[in-house]
Amino acid sequence: MELNFESNNTAAVIGITGRLDTVTAPELEDYINARIIGIETLTLDCAGLEYISSAGLRVLLRAQKKMAACGKMKLINVSPIIMEIFEITGFSEILTIE
Amino acid sequence: MNNGLITIPLSGRIDSTNAAETEKKLFEQLEGSGASPIVLDASHLSYISSAGLRVLLRVKKTHPDLTIRDVSSEVFEILEMTGFTEMMQVEKAYKAVSIEGCEEIGRGANGTVYRVDRDNVVKVYNNADALEDIQHEREMAKLALILGIPTAISYDVVKVGESYGSVFELLNANSFSKILATEPDKFDWCVKEFADMLKRIHGTVVPEGKLPNVKDEARGWARFMRDWLPEETHAKLTSLIEAVPDSDHMIHGDYHPKNIMLQDGEVLVIDMDTLSVGDPIFELCSVFNAFLGFSEYDHNVVKEFQGFDHDVSERFYYAALSRYLGTTSETKLREVTDKARVLGYTHLIGWKIRHGALETENGRAEVAFWKEQLLGLLTTVDTLVFQPNELEIEADKENLPEVLSFIEEHVEPLGLSEKGKMQLDLAAEEIFVNIANYAYAPEHGMAKILVETDETMNEAVITFSDEGRPFDPTKKADPSVSLSADERTPGGLGIFLTKKLMDGFSYEYRDGKNILKLTKKA
Repeated sequence: MELNFESNNTAAVIGITGRLDTVTAPELEDYINARIIGIETLTLDCAGLEYISSAGLRVLLRAQKKMAACGKMKLINVSPIIMEIFEITGFSEILTIE
Repeated sequence: MNNGLITIPLSGRIDSTNAAETEKKLFEQLEGSGASPIVLDASHLSYISSAGLRVLLRVKKTHPDLTIRDVSSEVFEILEMTGFTEMMQVEKAYKAVSIEGCEEIGRGANGTVYRVDRDNVVKVYNNADALEDIQHEREMAKLALILGIPTAISYDVVKVGESYGSVFELLNANSFSKILATEPDKFDWCVKEFADMLKRIHGTVVPEGKLPNVKDEARGWARFMRDWLPEETHAKLTSLIEAVPDSDHMIHGDYHPKNIMLQDGEVLVIDMDTLSVGDPIFELCSVFNAFLGFSEYDHNVVKEFQGFDHDVSERFYYAALSRYLGTTSETKLREVTDKARVLGYTHLIGWKIRHGALETENGRAEVAFWKEQLLGLLTTVDTLVFQPNELEIEADKENLPEVLSFIEEHVEPLGLSEKGKMQLDLAAEEIFVNIANYAYAPEHGMAKILVETDETMNEAVITFSDEGRPFDPTKKADPSVSLSADERTPGGLGIFLTKKLMDGFSYEYRDGKNILKLTKKA
């Protein structure tokens, strides 16, 4: 998994490329936590996201809860394969996906 | 007295009531004999107690060159138990057994097995001086039995004509050869048992130093071929063999249907004298030879040896290999068979030449045929190693990438879509991580992952097993997927996804193991 970060005042974009699984999920969580202070709009760009397991879903859920307290979080460029996982698990209802 | 050698008969029982008297008589006969070699003829000795054994010790002291001959099985057992067989030369009495008119039920590299009566079979060794071989096979059979491979252990040694034989109790036993020749409806059952037993043998780890390394034998086959192959080709053959990694897993060495017996519903493996350790390719080559290699030039050979037809033999080989490898992929079966053929022909050519093949026209044609096959294979085969479809690995999250790539490689013949691959990965991850996190915590343990693919059914079955605490994930309640983010808790998603994404998800607890099966259709 590769991550990159761009920010502009209170808006930030984190790009996720590769596999978000048990091994890499903690890395994403630490990455997000280290960068959301003062951020009101967090965008996760999933264009390069190939795979997500429940460990990845849990990180998204916790990030969603954190951001809801101080702003909002949205996901963009979600592929159909990943979207299906969000739908099965009900995450498509609780995450903002564009 | 005969050339200074003194022979004295012992008879009846020697115990505390007559030991002193026996000793007195013995030394009377030995008077003036100095330290001449002594033979005690025990053919009429029925029992010896510790008082009698002490007499033997005193004779040994004055006459160190002491042999006890024609010892009955009962007395031999006493001498063996008390360590006397180590201290002096003890020769057992061998009952004579005739095999005239007896049915041949098995044949191995070193001997032929006959049924002598309803309950007993005798394995007659080819070489006349077979006592050491018999002892060796007994040790091998004991080792295999202790390590969990069902086999028969001989309980007596007999004389058959000029040869020795070992006697086994085998009640109502039939070899797989006979079953295949006479009960064609049992074909599928035989395939399953044959392949599963082979996996069991190859899954058995042997303590270091107990068995020879099969690679040393293969090196011998290759050395013989030096004079029969072009230098470069021979160098390639040698390097292919050297490149196969050593292994501490058991190899039977002569695994074919005459050596697999069904006895009262239990499958037994016999002919254990060729046990060794090594990579399974060194076994598959001899399996190939037994079914196809030997009879590839002359199809009648298999009928003569196994009793079933060449086409049955061919079908059986591929069906058993398919079950053994857990795949129906013809490409994969061909690939592994080609590796087996490299070693198979190498062994066969040498064996045939040593058995005089070049003296007959037919033999020369046969050898030329195999050699041509071997030369062809040596231009295409670049490794003798094949990936077994089972991975045993420490249940640790860090090993997840290895587990997933192992699965991916083995389901490849099915041609899953990108989506299908991801879904299978996802389910496999959930199961493996669950085992890693919970099965042994806070200790550590192993997980086994078996991948089977079936192209006719268009599906892959992945079986995870562990020996951790029993846990049935199929019974875990589904998380509610319609709650808001605030109400959602993070647990239970993985198993839920696995259920949704797989075509089959089943659990059983058997033999102290959690066994979980995932089925994914292509």
